Amino acid sequence: MIDNPYAPIKSEVIDIHEESPTIKTFVLKPEVPILFKAGQFVELTVPGIGEAPFTPSSSPYEEENLEITIMKAGRVTSKIHQLKKGDIVGIRGPYGNEYPLSDFEQKEILLVGGGVGLAPLRALFLALVHHIDRYKAITFCCGARTPADIIYKDCVLDKWQRIDKKINFRVTVDKKDDKWQGREGLVTTTLDNLKIDIKNSVAIVCGPPIMMKFTTFKLIEIGYKDTQIYLSMEKNMSCGIGKCGHCRLGNFYVCKDGPVFRYDKINTLHEIWD
Amino acid sequence: MKSYFINRPNLERLIRSISKDYTVYAPVLHEGNRYYKKVEEDILGDIALDGTRAVETIKSFYFPARSRLTGYFLKDPSDKRRRPIAIIGAKSCDMASLKIMDYVFTQEPFGDPAYISQREDGLIISSDCTSYNNTCFCVALGIMPYPEDGFDINLSEIESGYISEIGSEKGERLVKEYAKLFQNSDLYIERRDLSRKKLKDELYRYVSSKNLPQADTLQERFRKSFNSSLWEETARTCVECGACNFICPACHCFILADQQGEQEFERLRLWDSCLLFSFAKVAGGANPRKFLYQRLRNRFDKKFNFFPDVLGRFGCTGCGRCIEACPGKIDIREVLSKLAG
Repeated sequence: MIDNPYAPIKSEVIDIHEESPTIKTFVLKPEVPILFKAGQFVELTVPGIGEAPFTPSSSPYEEENLEITIMKAGRVTSKIHQLKKGDIVGIRGPYGNEYPLSDFEQKEILLVGGGVGLAPLRALFLALVHHIDRYKAITFCCGARTPADIIYKDCVLDKWQRIDKKINFRVTVDKKDDKWQGREGLVTTTLDNLKIDIKNSVAIVCGPPIMMKFTTFKLIEIGYKDTQIYLSMEKNMSCGIGKCGHCRLGNFYVCKDGPVFRYDKINTLHEIWD
Repeated sequence: MKSYFINRPNLERLIRSISKDYTVYAPVLHEGNRYYKKVEEDILGDIALDGTRAVETIKSFYFPARSRLTGYFLKDPSDKRRRPIAIIGAKSCDMASLKIMDYVFTQEPFGDPAYISQREDGLIISSDCTSYNNTCFCVALGIMPYPEDGFDINLSEIESGYISEIGSEKGERLVKEYAKLFQNSDLYIERRDLSRKKLKDELYRYVSSKNLPQADTLQERFRKSFNSSLWEETARTCVECGACNFICPACHCFILADQQGEQEFERLRLWDSCLLFSFAKVAGGANPRKFLYQRLRNRFDKKFNFFPDVLGRFGCTGCGRCIEACPGKIDIREVLSKLAG
């Protein structure tokens, strides 16, 4: 008898961090370790309510716990936001493909994240930092609607900036407040005047569909080729294993063949930005 | 493949014997339609192996409309195995649909355990069509009105009995076990081939009146028609009920739903329909198919573009059930005939 792929693994909520008014990071301890690679996703079950797909935001090298950063957006995520320390949830996965780290070696890496789209990029960033000597440089461009909406504030505004000289941050908000001293403007504006050798670079983008669309177009405008751009696609991934049909994108199932796609593989498909 | 002859009384004996090991379902006539009924002693004589496909598809035996997939957090997630199922009298269109279902549910690395066990343990004795409905169009998609493979045994009605063609080792074992019930079939093969050809020709003639494009042009025509007004025009009478999906032998989409079970939470799998508004919607609100015409087009995309690419066959078997089921009178044949040339 093969394993039941629909059965979640029991996991305990061991900590919760408030990232923004609508986003929390949950630290989860699964009964059996769930090992994932940056970019892959899991299905998180709220007992009796249902499940939803998320890409873990913690380092893939952290084996015991798993962190998932979640925006309150729908039925299941509203219930998740009500969870407290000690509550039990279910996790199944990991599913889908990972960022092809070996293709990124010796390259200048550009990460572009918008809003809660920073979550998968956090896992990727931590994986890159784990072997920082393998990469030439990392430029991390983050966008949020307002300063309050920036997630991983301590990290993107401070700690991560100090890890290595090879690492640069550009953080912007669509609309600043009185205290914000940084950039103002859409995340695409952080791509102006990049100090990157674009020919030897890869760009990894994650965020809401509209952000990914305009970021991709901007990257092409500044000289990136379709083969140098990696997108984390968001579709309705329900079963996670290429059976339920919901996340079809052309001849792909995003859950199985994605969620990470190199742009040249999908640039002619319908419905990619919708 | 090897063939034998079995007369009707012996076939009924065979079915009676099979039901010791399997729960047996076979089509029975009711007001002109065929429905699968659980075979008990008193309906053996009513089993209708002639005619055309049953009202319901056979996918539901392996992929029920509503099934419990798992309880939560189970160390041993294997539910009690159901009694294996034997299906008698499945027609060619439904046999073809199992190729789609098998592709979806047995695909590695995550096979669907309930589907796989029911398919592996099950038995299928299919049978030739001896007539056609006015909604049938299998031959236009390259599917013959008689099963060519996928069965354990196939029955072709001939005189007072059936030619039993063996299609698998399981079928061969069964024939060996009940060898006394079977006779040599050499005398009948030619007559079977003639009656198959006769029905096939009749069906070709009938289907040609529907102006369906050549099967090997359908995918290209669909692609050329992606931005055609055809979809908006066709969607005008669609009421978004999902009947075409639920009655389709090749539609496999489902939704997972969690609920409080008798003792613990449980996860259910329910058939879903790509015609419904929320099918592709994500939690953030984005919906790649906001408009009904996009969802209707998606149904054709999946069947005539996606499956040819990934599996080399259509996700439609020409059974015509969706034509009968559609309250908006959308006829899949008519839509196909309007695809760009």
